[in-house]
Amino acid sequence: MTAMIELIDVHKSFGHLLVLQGVNLTVAKKEVVVVIGPSGSGKSTMLRCINGLEPIQKGQVIIEGEDLHGAKTDPNKIRQRIGMVFQSFNLFPHKNALHNVMMAPMKVQKKSKTEAEEIARDLLDKVGLADKMDAFPEELSGGQQQRVAIARALAMKPDMMLFDEVTSALDPELVAEVLGVMQRLAEAGMTMVVVTHEMGFAREVGSRLIFMDGGVVVEEGDPREMIVNPKELRTQKFLSMVL
Amino acid sequence: MGDVANAFFNGEIFKESIWLLVKTLPTVFEVLVLGLVCSYLWGLILSLMRLSRFRVLRYITGAYIDFFRGLPLLLLFVFIYYGLGTAGLKIGALVSGVLGLTLCYGAYSAEIFRAGIQAIPKGQMEAARSLGMTNGQAMRYVILPQAIKLVVPPLTNEFIAMIKDTSLMSVIAVPELLFRAKEKMGVVANPTPLTVAAIIYVVFTIPLIRVAARLETRRRKRPGGGIKTPAGLPPGAEIDLFTADITAQLPKGGEMH
Repeated sequence: MTAMIELIDVHKSFGHLLVLQGVNLTVAKKEVVVVIGPSGSGKSTMLRCINGLEPIQKGQVIIEGEDLHGAKTDPNKIRQRIGMVFQSFNLFPHKNALHNVMMAPMKVQKKSKTEAEEIARDLLDKVGLADKMDAFPEELSGGQQQRVAIARALAMKPDMMLFDEVTSALDPELVAEVLGVMQRLAEAGMTMVVVTHEMGFAREVGSRLIFMDGGVVVEEGDPREMIVNPKELRTQKFLSMVL
Repeated sequence: MGDVANAFFNGEIFKESIWLLVKTLPTVFEVLVLGLVCSYLWGLILSLMRLSRFRVLRYITGAYIDFFRGLPLLLLFVFIYYGLGTAGLKIGALVSGVLGLTLCYGAYSAEIFRAGIQAIPKGQMEAARSLGMTNGQAMRYVILPQAIKLVVPPLTNEFIAMIKDTSLMSVIAVPELLFRAKEKMGVVANPTPLTVAAIIYVVFTIPLIRVAARLETRRRKRPGGGIKTPAGLPPGAEIDLFTADITAQLPKGGEMH
């Protein structure tokens, strides 16, 4: 079976700053890969390279067998299959929750308004926001905004989801509601790559844990085992600080 | 004292001038409405070209904007009407006026639109692109609706300036306020018609000046109220929008596919 995501020797730099120095990663269907690492280790950049938000200098990004940077590839088409949720929510402030979710199905997939609205209502209901459909982003709490953002990404019926530190901007009491949605998504069989500092989530939901440092994957393994018993010195150091 | 009062506020001439000058208003409005629509549309197009990922297009547009921002509008009017006319390309006075306004105010408003577009947080474009939207779709459905709300106050200020600049068309024989006022002044040998023209200008510009000022203060005081400020815009960003040098924030071309 083809891997959902395959990164081969991915190099990425901003000017002279080398952020990714040969990242290799394969994500299989229904896998939940949790990525941890110190800030500046390149984990968010790696995530952004997966859907081409960042161009790369060297290497390959292969999504379901298709080279993202291939000459014949339309990256917009590939991005439709990859949902992404951001640390800063990035909801569209001029649209209410319902229309935030409806926009992409209507404008990108050219679905009818009725159809898009049906999808949006169903998803907002699933993330527990049935009563907030008409609310504008500024009227919602961070946790609610983030759940709208998840619903918005899911509305495109993606094959995989990327989560970029989605709970880092949230007040502590709001973290659980977002993680809860993500956990249910994982249980429903969604392929996920999750950059996070939530070690509890990594342990309970993650099927694989990746530790990144200095722009490379330093160690990977079963989260339950790796958290307790990391092999690499750098992993040990990092885990001793966050646990 | 009496002489001065008679010179600028001669009752008889004042009355005559009012009707004479009010009759020019349809012409002024026609020029203004066409100038407004054309220059803002042209400005929006220019701003998008200025932000294009094609370097050549960016440079050409930048040169255009600099050129027309640096050119006196009066010279432009004279060039289009008399200059091109002499060269054999005869353009009517009204059309010359609208063309001049569009070329010049298009350049001004392009800079405003550009600042408005760049004031929208980068995350908005990324969120839109991550949903599979093309650059054009993201601009149209996500960035521009937010940017246009931001640029309403500065565009209002532009419009006020444009109202005043219609008076420059008097040199190319557009029968507008100043043109007729000067004509009348010559006939009656008294500057009262100028006073009337001034009053008419101010009657239109002052309410707009108040509106523009209110739009701006309301934004600064109540970021959530009335016209919505895009979430994630740091406080004061909108003020910076009109004062700061924003060239440094220009996204580099070709960052995204």
